[in-house]
Order: sequence, then structure tokens, then C-alpha cells
Amino acid sequence: MAAKKQGRTGLIFFPAFDWAISPTHPEREERLLYTRDQIFEEGLMDLPSIEEYKPRLADKKDVARVHFCVPDVESQTTEAHLIAAGSTLTLADALEKGEIKNGFALVRPPGHHSMRVVHGNRGFCNINNMAIMVEYLRSKYGHKRIAVIDTDVHHGDGTQEIFWHDPDVLCISFHQDGHTLYPGSGFVNEMGGPQALARTLNVPLPPGTTDEGIHYVLDNLILPILDEFKPDLVLNSAGQDNHYTDPLANMRFSANGYARLNEKLAPDLCVLEGGYAVETALPYVNTGIIQAMAGLDYSHVKEPDFVPGRFVQSAEMKHEIEHTVSQVQKIWEQRDEMVEEALANYGNFYRRKRRIFYDTDMINENQEESVRLCPDCAGYMTIMTSAQRGYGILNSAFCITIPRGACPSCREDAAEEYAEHLDDKRVGYVLMQDKDRDRFKFYNNGTRTEKGY
Amino acid sequence: MLIGIDVGGTTTDAVIVDGNRVVKTAYVPTDHDNLLKCFLGALDELVAGVDTAKVERVVLSTTLITNMIAEGKTDPVALVLIPGPGTNPKDYNLGESIILDGAIDFRGKEIDPLRESQIKEAATQIREKGLSRVAVVGKFCQRNHSHELTAGEILAAALPGAHIELGHRVSGQLNFPRRAATTMLTAATKDRYGQFAADVAAALKERKIKAPVYILKADGGTLPLDKSVGMPVETIFSGPAASIMGVLALTEAGQTSVVVDIGGTTTDLALILSGQPLLSSKGARVDSLLTHVRAFAVKSVAIGGDSAVAVNGGSLTVGPQRDGPPMCLGGGFPTPTDALRVMGLSSIGDGAKAEQAMQVLAQALNCSAAEAARKTIDAVVDKMVSEIEEMFREWESEPAYRIWEIMSKEKLSAQNVVGVGGGSPPLVPLVAKRLGAAAVVPEHAPVANAIGAAVARPTLTLNLHVDTEKGEYDVAEEGLAGRISDKKMSSEEVEKLARRLLSERAARLGIGEYAGEAEVTYSEVFNMIRGWSTVGRLFDLRLEILAGLLPAWRRG
Repeated sequence: MAAKKQGRTGLIFFPAFDWAISPTHPEREERLLYTRDQIFEEGLMDLPSIEEYKPRLADKKDVARVHFCVPDVESQTTEAHLIAAGSTLTLADALEKGEIKNGFALVRPPGHHSMRVVHGNRGFCNINNMAIMVEYLRSKYGHKRIAVIDTDVHHGDGTQEIFWHDPDVLCISFHQDGHTLYPGSGFVNEMGGPQALARTLNVPLPPGTTDEGIHYVLDNLILPILDEFKPDLVLNSAGQDNHYTDPLANMRFSANGYARLNEKLAPDLCVLEGGYAVETALPYVNTGIIQAMAGLDYSHVKEPDFVPGRFVQSAEMKHEIEHTVSQVQKIWEQRDEMVEEALANYGNFYRRKRRIFYDTDMINENQEESVRLCPDCAGYMTIMTSAQRGYGILNSAFCITIPRGACPSCREDAAEEYAEHLDDKRVGYVLMQDKDRDRFKFYNNGTRTEKGY
Repeated sequence: MLIGIDVGGTTTDAVIVDGNRVVKTAYVPTDHDNLLKCFLGALDELVAGVDTAKVERVVLSTTLITNMIAEGKTDPVALVLIPGPGTNPKDYNLGESIILDGAIDFRGKEIDPLRESQIKEAATQIREKGLSRVAVVGKFCQRNHSHELTAGEILAAALPGAHIELGHRVSGQLNFPRRAATTMLTAATKDRYGQFAADVAAALKERKIKAPVYILKADGGTLPLDKSVGMPVETIFSGPAASIMGVLALTEAGQTSVVVDIGGTTTDLALILSGQPLLSSKGARVDSLLTHVRAFAVKSVAIGGDSAVAVNGGSLTVGPQRDGPPMCLGGGFPTPTDALRVMGLSSIGDGAKAEQAMQVLAQALNCSAAEAARKTIDAVVDKMVSEIEEMFREWESEPAYRIWEIMSKEKLSAQNVVGVGGGSPPLVPLVAKRLGAAAVVPEHAPVANAIGAAVARPTLTLNLHVDTEKGEYDVAEEGLAGRISDKKMSSEEVEKLARRLLSERAARLGIGEYAGEAEVTYSEVFNMIRGWSTVGRLFDLRLEILAGLLPAWRRG
């Protein structure tokens, strides 16, 4: 797996020094300041094994390929979001052109809590940088199988939701147990839609999990599964809040543990997610990750107060982690039977209702999702969504996705759904995501205007 | 009257400038073994019959440091590093070094103390190697000087007479390996440079020239010679800087120009963007070492008038090697100079021999001699145009860390292609045409370098870092640190402090009258939030007197 690849490591450092959610918010200007100081002082960008790239803005179309932004992409994104997402695309291009062997988008704002439908900011995220990169890589370069490993301390619920029905994108998230931390999800039994069961895998870990516990998960679960799944690309949603000093979580992972994780996982591309110990963790963790990706010696990276053996895992915790790993292993092993069984149980459509809470923006969203379980293609999908911000206005939209390689029947039915909802007074907007033809339409029922990306 | 003298690679050029007129020029061939003699030879020729009492200023640009480093004639230095956590020092290309325990973090907090016994041991090692020059450099020591100071004192006590150079005194910018390299080079060249400066001063005194003497730095700014002895590395690449300043002086203000200096085997390219010469983004590369030295971005392309032209498998190649002089000047192989002669674009050398040279190529290419000449020059122009376009692209793709920097970077293209140096006049119009720019070969192009030296104004940079939570500030450029009492300092107050510090620094460097020219070229403020409240602010402010021309030059 970790075969030594030749070439340089691409790095984009976009700290968005002029963007914050609010002045005192953890996601503020200062977040990557000391990381900047450390990696610049280290002179990492000068090393021959590292190539620094300039960020670019993602196109609105790159966002629309993943998200149903309500009412449109412009109103849900700022320049900072488009630059963070665009940075991942610049590195994706550099990787595909063979300029680099791997790459790390050290960017903010983060993205992994953003779901398919976007009404506002959720868990510090507006748009999902990782998912935007995945869809870009697939549509531009034709990649089929992709593995996203979410190493943030919070469950990568946005990424999970976006690829929920997609058997070709394996999403594995390990994180602090959702009983004890935002967003309160990511349990073992969340494992994907009927066509893609066990292509979403969750590994909740007890608060206080150490390097030993996380590396146990990596060695015994994640790496063997990747060996079997054989993805074209391995991507890391690289949150840094498993660190023992993170103020928003309770884990005990070290900078060295993070570096070693990236060495073993050998991701093709890494995208920064969370991590809010701005002085005590981020400078060291980021240095370690960059070094590990570039094949440099990271053994000299050490937090000032860290001594090896500082955190010892209890027997009880060890047992708990081993138990969770064996549960997830079982799910993975039974994946084909589970899909077969699920498809036999459902009829032509799979439907679910969901409530989604946007903590940052205080929005409550209700969704009704429907996917055709089509024998000839991935099946078209519709989502009826309505969202209310506090006691404010209600925004509603009807969203339709035509999957890549859609069969003529799904395409026809999706087009019919679109036409049916135009000028339907019950919904504000009608959104069409044609992934097969890479075309995206946003129709405003109030003004009766359509725009495309 | 202003005097500029550029001790260049092949010739030493000298000019007297009065107002905006070039009054007199002189040149002597450069003898690399005695640069002082070249300088004085050119000076004597220049001032013969001139009233030296009217000379207001003498500016020298010299390849001394460049040559010393290129020829390995620098003094040996012991490098002592205090790297702390992070990169394995072996991953830096710094050669042999002694590593000390101890660490400072990005806020200037000590996170690991020095070990005195280890420093004494280092002194013993240095003594055993017979070294008397030591560079001591710690990671983040610009944010807290104590480790470098303490280590320096212990080493000085143990090594009487040793010259000890501390990193924070050389550069305070972020980038530890560059600071280490710059400090090492400073220690390695200081003594010899100091000797050279003293010799120049003595020789001028002998000639009764009382005007102040300046040296031209790599960033196109001048500095009094006696003040420059503390920062010899700053004078590296002053030759190209002189040429670029010359072009700045000889073209219209505020324009975007490509500076093309075509020599025998290499062509130097540089950019002037909206009237401001482009600096290399992080600092100069000196030989194999990356430094903090501010220098104009100059790209050397291995192609010139003497480059060998050959036909391989039906396609024509130019350079990079030289196989002797052009055929029209008595050489044995075809060159671009021969091609220009055949095309009637120059009148150098023997036309018949140039024709022969093109015949050699014509046979291999199965075309006429005229066509072979055209193909040769096309290849040269192609190469230059693509390198120039690449320079613009590189400038456009320099990393940016703020939204506004990404949103507002304008796209520039060349308005002028300006030729300096002997080989430029016939080729510059062809390159300019391809770039859709005006071709400019200034009247005094051959001595543009000396003019640049004569009329360049001083430059000065001051980087101020303020940490109001700790109540401290430090100045990157000279290892200056101090306390501030106002925890609620505003941006305006920080700028005021920076301006005061810059004025003081300018006065110390003998360029006090230019302090008012300084502008803020970089500024950032961060609120430090711990929990939910602001505990302090971090400011970084850069004031610069940028490269520019003396007002006297435009006055005339």
C-alpha cells in the first residue's frame, strides 16, 4: 500500500488570514497563524521534496456538482470558501498531471460537515471541499473508485451523507464517539444506502483514545479494507482535533501519531478539516503531516510538553476499541450479502425522511429523500427540502440528481420531476444536478427565472 | 556630480552623471584577481581632468562577494544550530554543523533550555578544528534572542579572538535554514569584505575625493560603504542590480519592462513591474544556498551571441555551450552572432566568414544560408520569449495567503523590452515584436549598469513584530527588541513605532534623510483569543524604502 512513490509533495497553504465566522469563533483568522510561523520558519517550502502551489477559486459549477445550494451557489459561498475548495482542485490537477506524488491542501474554512443540500453553515462548514475534489476528480479525470478516510475527531457526517448511496466512494470515518461530541452521529450502524451498504463505515472511539488506539484502527481495519477495496485514490480529510490539547474534543492523539498515520495511510491527497489547538497542536501536527507526506524524517517533531509514553491506554479502552473494530470488520465482510438483501427488501424506490440541524447558523432543515433502485444505473434521486432559520423565513427547494451513466428511463423521469415542480407554489426553488452531462440548473419559482452552471 | 562604477564580469564601467545627463564614461577590463585595481583604474580614468570637489557621491557595485563565494575563497565557518523540534537539520542543505539542545517557540517562549556543558563541548570541537569564525543560529531566535546571546557569550569566552555571528542579528525573517545560510555566509565573508572596504576608503582619501562612498546592494539600493561591512552578503549580485537600476533610470517611470542583458553565453532577464523592479520572492540563492538576502529576481538563460549552433537530426539547437568565438570573429563554429551578421542586423566581424558559418548549417538543414540564419535567430528569440513569459507566469503564481491577494492580483504584460549589454541591440527588437512590446535600447545602454549605480537611492527594510500579550516587540533586521506597555495598541500606534524605529535605523546607517520615503508594504493584525476573550494582539508590519532613483536624476 505505502509503496514509495517518486516525486514531490504539493502543498497549498491558504490560511484565509482575512476570514472568520466571528471574531472570537474557533474558526477565526488566527487559526493557522502559528502553523504559518512554524512551517515558514522550518523552511519546508524550500525543500526540494516540496512544491508550493498558489490557490485558485473553484468555479460555481464545481460546487454545484456536489451541492444543492439553496437558493444558489453565490448566496452560500464567499470568496474564502471558493478559494479553499479551489485549492484542492489545483492539487488534484497537479497530481493528475504527474507534477506531484501527493498533496496537502492546508486550507480553511473546512468542509466535512457540509451535506448535499446547503442552507447555511453547519459545524463551521459551508461547502464540502473534500467532496468537491472527489467529484472533480471523477468528472474530469474519470476516476471510478475513491476512498475518503476522515481522520478528524468529529464524525465526517457531511461527506458521509453526500456519498451515502455511492458504492464507488468508500467513506471511513473514525472519531470521538457521537454520544460525547458534535455532531452526535457516526455510529457503527450508519453504513450507507441500500445500494452502497458498508461503503460508509464508522468507527466511534472512546474519549481519551491514544496513538495506540488510533493506530490499532488503522492497522487492523482501515489499511486491510483499503487493500480489498483497491481505490484509484486514497484521500484524507485531515482534521487535527484528535490532538490531546484540542479545546473542543477529548482525545489523546499526538503530532507524531498524526505523522505516522499519514505515512502508513499514504494518501494521494489530504485536505485540512478541523483542529483548534492553534498554538499547542496545529504547528506541530501540520509540520509532521507535511514531512510524512514528503518522505522526510518527522521524528524531530514533538510538542513542547509531550514525552513518549505520556498517555497509556487502559485495558478497558483497548477492549472497547477492539470490539468496535471487529464489529466494523464484520459489516465490511458482509457487504455484498447486505446489499443483495436490502435491494430485495425495498421496491423500486428507497425513501427516507431526515431532520438536519445547522448549529452555526441555527437552521432546522427537513428532508424527504427518494432514490430509484434502478437495475440499469445508480438511479435518479430527489430531495424535497425545507429549512427555517430561527423563526425567520422558510426556504424550500425540490432537488433532482441524475447520476453519472444514467439510463434513459431515469433521465426521462428526472426531467419529468423537474418540469412538474416548476411553478409549483409549494416550493421556492427547483434544482437539477445532471452529473451525467455535467450541467446544473437552478430555477426560482418566485421570479420564474432559471440559471445554470 | 554623481559617480557610478560597476566592477562587472568582463569590464569595469564608470560614469559621471550630472543632473540627468551622462557627462563622462570610462571603462577598463576587469581583472578578477584585483578588483580594487579595476575600480581605481576606472575611477582614475573617469576623474582625470574633473574637479573632484564637485563629486557628491561615489557608488560602487562589485562582484567581490559573488566571486569569493563562487570561487570558494570564503573563510571557513563553524555552524552551530539550535533547531528545537521540527525538521531534522540533516534535511537542510547546510553542510556540517554542531547541534545544541534548547528550543524557542513561535511566540518566543523558551520550551527547552540550553545546556551549558554542551556549548562548552562545542567550543572544544571548534577549537580542535582550528576554526575562528562561528555562526550561531536558533529556530525562532528572532522572537527571543536569549539562546543565541547566551550560546554566543559562552563560545566567545571559550574561543578568545573568535568572530561570532548571531542569527538574529543577520535576519529576523521567518525561515531558519535561510537565516542559518545567510549568517554563515556573513561570517565567511565579513573579514575580507571589511578589508576591501577599508582599501577603497584609503584609496579615495589618497585621491582627495571627499564625497561619501556607497555600495550597491542586491535589492538595487545603496548603503554607505562603512556601514555595509556588517552585512557583506547584501552586496552579492550588485552587478545585475546595477543594470536593472540603470534601465529604471533610462526608461519612462511607472512602466512595465523586461530587462534583457545578452552576453556571450548567457542572457540575464529581469522584470520591472509598473516601475518597480521585481524582487525574488523569498531571497537570493547564493550558489547552492538559499538565503534571506533581498535581491532582484534575475533569471540567467544559457544562450548568447557566442552560443554554439548545431543541427541534430534535422533540427536546429542553440547553446547551451560555447565552442569558441563566432566564425565572423575568427572562430570555427557557427553562432547567433554570425546569423545576425548574415541577416544584416549587425556589422560585427567578417561578413564572408559569417556567410560560411551559415552555409555549414544550411547544408545540414538543406536550405539557403539566409534561411539558416533566420532559423537560428528564430530559435534564439523563441527561447527568450518563452523564458520571459515563464517569468511573468511565475510571478503570477506566487503563493498568496489572503483573499484580497488572490482576488486583486492584476495581470501584467511587458510594455517595453529594454536591451542592455553588448549583445542586445540587434535582438531586442525581435523579442519585443513577439511580445507586442516596444523595443528600447537606451542611448547609454553599454554603461546602464554604471548609471544605475550612480543614481540609485538607498533602500531599507524594517520588519516589526509586536506581541501585546507578552508586551514585547522585535525588529527582524538588527536583532532589536523592546517592551511595550500598552496592551491595547492600535495599528496606527504600531506604525508610528515602526516609523520611529526605521528613522533611528536609517540614521545609524547614514541614510537618515530618506526615512520619510518609507512605505508600509505589508501589515497584518491578529487578535489572540483564548477561551472567548481577546488576550492580546499580534502585529506584523513591514516598512520599506523601495528601490528608486535619486531625485537629482530627474531634476535636470
